[in-house]
Amino acid sequence: MIQINELVNILPVLIIFIGIILTLICEILFGKNKLVVYSLSILSVLGSIAGTFYLLNKDLFVFGELLRVNNITLAFTIIILTSVLLTFIASKNYLEKEKINFGEYYIIVLSSVLGMLLMIFANDLLIVFIGLELMSICFYVLVGMLRKRVKSNESALKYFLLGAFISGFLLYGISLMYGAIGTTKISVYSTMAGITKTPVFLIGLVLYTIGFLFKMGVFPFQMWVPDVYEGAPTIVTGMMSTAGKIAAVGTIAPLIISFNVPDFKTLLAIISVLTMLFGNVIALSQSSIKRILAYSSIASAGYILVGVASMDEFAVKGILFYLAAYVFMQLGAFIVVSVYESGSKDKTDFNLLNFDDYKGLAKRNPMLGIFFSVFLLSLAGIPPLAGFWGKYYLFYVAIKSNLIWLSIIAILLSLVSLYYYLRIIVYMWFMEPSEELKETEIRSDFLSKISLILAFAGTVIFGFLPNIFFSLFNFVIK
Amino acid sequence: MYSDYGQVLIFLIFALGFVAIALVSAWIVSPKRPTKGKYTTYECGEDTVGETWVKFNIRFYITALIFIIFDVEIVFLFPWAVVFKEIGMLAFIEMAAFLLVLIVGLVYVWAKGDLQWDKPQPEIPKLDREIFKAGN
Repeated sequence: MIQINELVNILPVLIIFIGIILTLICEILFGKNKLVVYSLSILSVLGSIAGTFYLLNKDLFVFGELLRVNNITLAFTIIILTSVLLTFIASKNYLEKEKINFGEYYIIVLSSVLGMLLMIFANDLLIVFIGLELMSICFYVLVGMLRKRVKSNESALKYFLLGAFISGFLLYGISLMYGAIGTTKISVYSTMAGITKTPVFLIGLVLYTIGFLFKMGVFPFQMWVPDVYEGAPTIVTGMMSTAGKIAAVGTIAPLIISFNVPDFKTLLAIISVLTMLFGNVIALSQSSIKRILAYSSIASAGYILVGVASMDEFAVKGILFYLAAYVFMQLGAFIVVSVYESGSKDKTDFNLLNFDDYKGLAKRNPMLGIFFSVFLLSLAGIPPLAGFWGKYYLFYVAIKSNLIWLSIIAILLSLVSLYYYLRIIVYMWFMEPSEELKETEIRSDFLSKISLILAFAGTVIFGFLPNIFFSLFNFVIK
Repeated sequence: MYSDYGQVLIFLIFALGFVAIALVSAWIVSPKRPTKGKYTTYECGEDTVGETWVKFNIRFYITALIFIIFDVEIVFLFPWAVVFKEIGMLAFIEMAAFLLVLIVGLVYVWAKGDLQWDKPQPEIPKLDREIFKAGN
């Protein structure tokens, strides 16, 4: 039986839900004035963050064990909401520039956030599935938001077909897991000893995991990532590559780590090596900035898997820190790209996304240059920045659980990634822009500057004081 | 020897056999005198005109979507009505919240003008300048 007073325990989800309804009503009433919808959606995300802080340091099941609230799920929630907040603040400028400033954009993004939060909080496989579908369907629409561009349409259709196919895998996995054990409650699984020795359950678990590996963009299931990320509106790409990925990691990583299957350890280690290799090596030969960032996001999925493969208790916390750093640097990089990008004159293709277009950017607009350089250096893992500590904790847990070979390979491959990040920086600072480029104007408004400054602050503060994050959620570092 | 599903298998075999025997015997026994009238489509609709790849008006899909949403709503309303007295006020509030969401969605579609069934008004291309004058 559901009690009314239990609703307080899902405050973040509830606030987002109410936010969606209010935004819909405001879109009807003040359709012409986009500022109302814009500020309301930012307010609901802020309210949801506040709700998450209200729930901190609780460990409880809600609605008859359908949802689970504890510090780890709350930490994932806060990271996702931060990513969406930065996206929202920056998206107004981009949407106006591309002439797709519809109120529906905010409603659909908020709905996808609702799905992500459900996934993270879920303690029942069916709730996970509902959340995942809600998130995915919203993403399919968002990817195809630039209706008049062929690339956007193509990537939306690609993503939809592949995503629908993978949902089948996931659902089949859920049905096998239910068939083997007779329950869909996730918390029950980790209490049953020897559960992973049941073949049917193991097959189900593997299929279920595949569904999430697809959403994360891990090696054998990564083919959609560059195409979809390239075709989607840049600001949506930034959100998909951070919030969407974090939701998938937050659902599957704690589950796998709680099972601690020895066979999975080797398998995940091999997959993570292949993912890092694929992402970092193919990124070397790309000429489009968005594709480079897409491949670097595949490589990041590989680093996260290094943490998952270690199957250590601290691993989830290390992954959480990496994701928190990842939100700031990856989303920051995408926001810079979205500020600099401009549609072609006939609005049929993207413009200013090539390597050569970034020549001399730092001289023309030093602020963008400094921000982009910091985000890229952080992605590469240069010491005083947040990305370094993220990788440090991931490789540290890998070494602690006797996966020294894996961490050595990961460090070598992240050295490879330094090449293509530094190449962009060299282009920005040491090359002369062409005459044509000098004439184009860079439109960066006040709001996108705010979100860039927030992302910059996150990257630097977490770099110098990584302990803030752990003390916020009372995580103990061993 | 056989379990409960064995009966289903036997039933399947008998069913398939019955159909096969009936069809095959009719095929052997029946007289075959085809005429032109017997080969025309009748009682199954008209002869098709044109191709079957026709573009449907997008409004059909919107109507169908809205229909499905409210269809599902009714599926939820029936069990709710059965246990309504036992749960009481809480059930009422919950269903009110559920209906509110759907109604807001319907109002949204309505206000955005997606339910208007007007005939599309194609834009007739106009030329700003007169071509014939250009020669003079």
